[in-house]
Amino acid sequence: MLKLEDLTVRFGGLTAVNSVSLSVGTHEIMGLVGPNGAGKTTLFNAISGLVRPSSGRILFDSENIVRSPLHRRARMGIGRTFQVPQPMQGLTVRENLIVAQRFGAGRVDDARLDEILQLTNLSDKAECEAATQLALTELKALEVAKALVTEPKLLMLDEVLAGLETSGKQRFMLMLKALHARFALGILVIEHDIETVSNFCDRVAVLEYGELIANGTPADVFKDPRVIKSYTGAEHA
Amino acid sequence: MRSSKSSALKWLALGVVLYGVVPWLLGDSYVMSLTVAAMVIGGIALAWSLLSNLGGMLSFGHSAFFGVGAYVSALLTMRAGVGVLPAMLMGGVGAVVASVAMLPVLRLRGVYFALAILAYSVIFRVLATQWESVTGGSAGLASIPTFPRVLGMDLASRRGSYLLILTLLILFALVYRYIRASHYGMALRAMHGSEDATRVVGVNSILLKALMLFTSAFMTGVIGAYNAHEINFLNPDYAFDGIWVILPVVAAIFGGYRTITGPVVGAVVVYLVDQLIFKSLIPVGHQLILGALLVAMIIYSPGGLVPLVSKKFFAGASSPRP
Amino acid sequence: MTDLILQSLYSGILQGGLYALIGLGLALVFGTMNVINFAHGELVLLAAYMAYMVEAHLGVNPIFAIPVALVLVCLCSALIYGLLSLVRVDRELNSLILTYGVAVILTNAILFIWSADPHSTGSDWLQGAVVFGPLFSMRGQVLFFIVAVILLAGLWWWLSRSWYGRALRAVSSNRAAAQLMGINPRATEIISFLIAGILASFAGVAIFSYQVIQPASGESLTIKAFIITVLAGMGSIPGVLIGGILLGLAEALTATLGSSAWQELVGMVLFLLVLFFMPNGLFGVKARRG
Repeated sequence: MLKLEDLTVRFGGLTAVNSVSLSVGTHEIMGLVGPNGAGKTTLFNAISGLVRPSSGRILFDSENIVRSPLHRRARMGIGRTFQVPQPMQGLTVRENLIVAQRFGAGRVDDARLDEILQLTNLSDKAECEAATQLALTELKALEVAKALVTEPKLLMLDEVLAGLETSGKQRFMLMLKALHARFALGILVIEHDIETVSNFCDRVAVLEYGELIANGTPADVFKDPRVIKSYTGAEHA
Repeated sequence: MRSSKSSALKWLALGVVLYGVVPWLLGDSYVMSLTVAAMVIGGIALAWSLLSNLGGMLSFGHSAFFGVGAYVSALLTMRAGVGVLPAMLMGGVGAVVASVAMLPVLRLRGVYFALAILAYSVIFRVLATQWESVTGGSAGLASIPTFPRVLGMDLASRRGSYLLILTLLILFALVYRYIRASHYGMALRAMHGSEDATRVVGVNSILLKALMLFTSAFMTGVIGAYNAHEINFLNPDYAFDGIWVILPVVAAIFGGYRTITGPVVGAVVVYLVDQLIFKSLIPVGHQLILGALLVAMIIYSPGGLVPLVSKKFFAGASSPRP
Repeated sequence: MTDLILQSLYSGILQGGLYALIGLGLALVFGTMNVINFAHGELVLLAAYMAYMVEAHLGVNPIFAIPVALVLVCLCSALIYGLLSLVRVDRELNSLILTYGVAVILTNAILFIWSADPHSTGSDWLQGAVVFGPLFSMRGQVLFFIVAVILLAGLWWWLSRSWYGRALRAVSSNRAAAQLMGINPRATEIISFLIAGILASFAGVAIFSYQVIQPASGESLTIKAFIITVLAGMGSIPGVLIGGILLGLAEALTATLGSSAWQELVGMVLFLLVLFFMPNGLFGVKARRG
């Protein structure tokens, strides 16, 4: 469904993403890991359209979307969350979802909207003002809900667990698993927590200094000596 | 929540007052012509508020649309024999065409947009002055045709022109209200905070902003055209004067630019006070007081002074939205 | 014809120095506070009218107005800063509206006090010819071009060496971080406004020395200053000088090859072209990508 071919992103003299090639299948849950500054969020930004790659192709359903504008990619089926939640200001939770659904999916479907509210545990917060009246977990859930109502084929989650404590993380993971089961989705998730990634993901890609150094099942990847070195040696980087 | 019946009655009463009582009271008097002039400012203020508040794009160049609308309409009636009312609409269209040149500036930050649009208004003024063969140069155009009779009503009379602009303003206010209440309005409000967050869920933010620009330009162009046919005279310095920028801005902010009726009410109040009081205090340079008023408002009450009053009378359309 | 063009280029460069002076004041404040001081042109104009007053009422060379202008303009500049710091909500846009209001106040105050009559210097010394081969200029033009270059160079040197200069750059790139490092942003902000006032004072007296002044000039000066700010891009003083000269050249050539009526237009068009194609300006530090 999603295929990156030799994707490179350069900012001035800095090469944030260096010739990365990987693919995500239609129902797959793929993890993207690596130390801070490895280029994971840049890769996300390139796929969702916030950043223009310097070279390479991004194939979504076999179509090269490198030149497609942001909003078009959203309508094609790429949804993403932001690491720092960005709720739509001045709007209620429900209105956030209405906007996302109306413009991302092309119509307003109350039944589906309500279902997503329920699955993300936001039903009783539906009429609250999103930017000011939600706790962190709820804001993160809203990020996911917003992406979901656009009826994505690929859901990209950027460190969606960051800042949550352990039990919160577990509940969030269960929610994501339920969502993955309910909707036909591919998920690409940036995460730091190795245990979460091993439990949740079908496959894992490891980035270091913008380069892909491993790509396979969690079991294989986390045994790879280069990956181990990257994680343990990373504190000196 | 007021019952819709009581609300409807209130709007009906207002309609009677505006369409019946006011023209009967003021007739063809000088106060009526002042009121009409104030409503012209109100119209620009409304259009400006649409772009600035809803669209999120502060503009210091609305005089560009005003002037272009005026010239297009005047020239169509004088050179091409088009009827005044259709020509006014074409004036609006002309302003929209002019605004197309401003599309590239839409993706820029607020300050750059505001000044870029100011640059445009200067360009149009110079064009109007230089293109003598068409626009009559700096001398301008005189004897611009006035409004026709419609349904037995002479729109050229002061009473008639009042009714015309009243109708225009009401139509524009309804359009504004419709947009704001729609999904587009929701998306536009969301865009104020984070445009990227909306684009990522499929909102074509550039297109929405462009539509707001076009709508605001159209409205201002029609008002400019109306003004040209009302005073029957036009020249570049008048058409693109800075007064068409500062008065609407002061009016919109005074009246509370977060509401729909605010800018119009603000315009009437500010204009009348300016003409009747400020001008007699400082005949040359009375705009000084307007400037001071603007500064004071921005510091102490950026949401306007009128909303506090109107909240009590009209729930619903007039109450400030976040 | 070549002579005409050469003369045009020469005049344009001289004018450019003046424009750079005006542009830098605006750019400095914009860089520190992210605010466009819409009233900047009016400050320059105020200084110009001070020069007029000194010449008309004291009968001396308007250059002696510089100290007077410095006091008055810097005072006004500080006042504007004071008003700006009272803005709490929607700072960026409300600040713009506020300075716009101040500009209206100043323009109309000037109109009220001095009426709409245009003025220019009667000083023979300033209008005296300075000739280099085929190139003609007025003493005032050359003098103030040199002053402008000295001021610009001095400021450039000072900003790169002094503690203030480094604080300025810190505050403009990251206000919160600068505060954490113990830099008081308000101090750097008010110093920027004062420097802008100083530059505006010299520029104003310069304008009176060889150009015509009238109340309406204020707005067009502000716009030109902004054009130069955009041309130069953020964070580059040499860029401001070159931007100013570019504008000066463009205007001079338009006046010579086209007509002086189009002069007003060319700056605007240049501005828009740069906005469309090179939003970082010609020499600006590239904005960080998100």
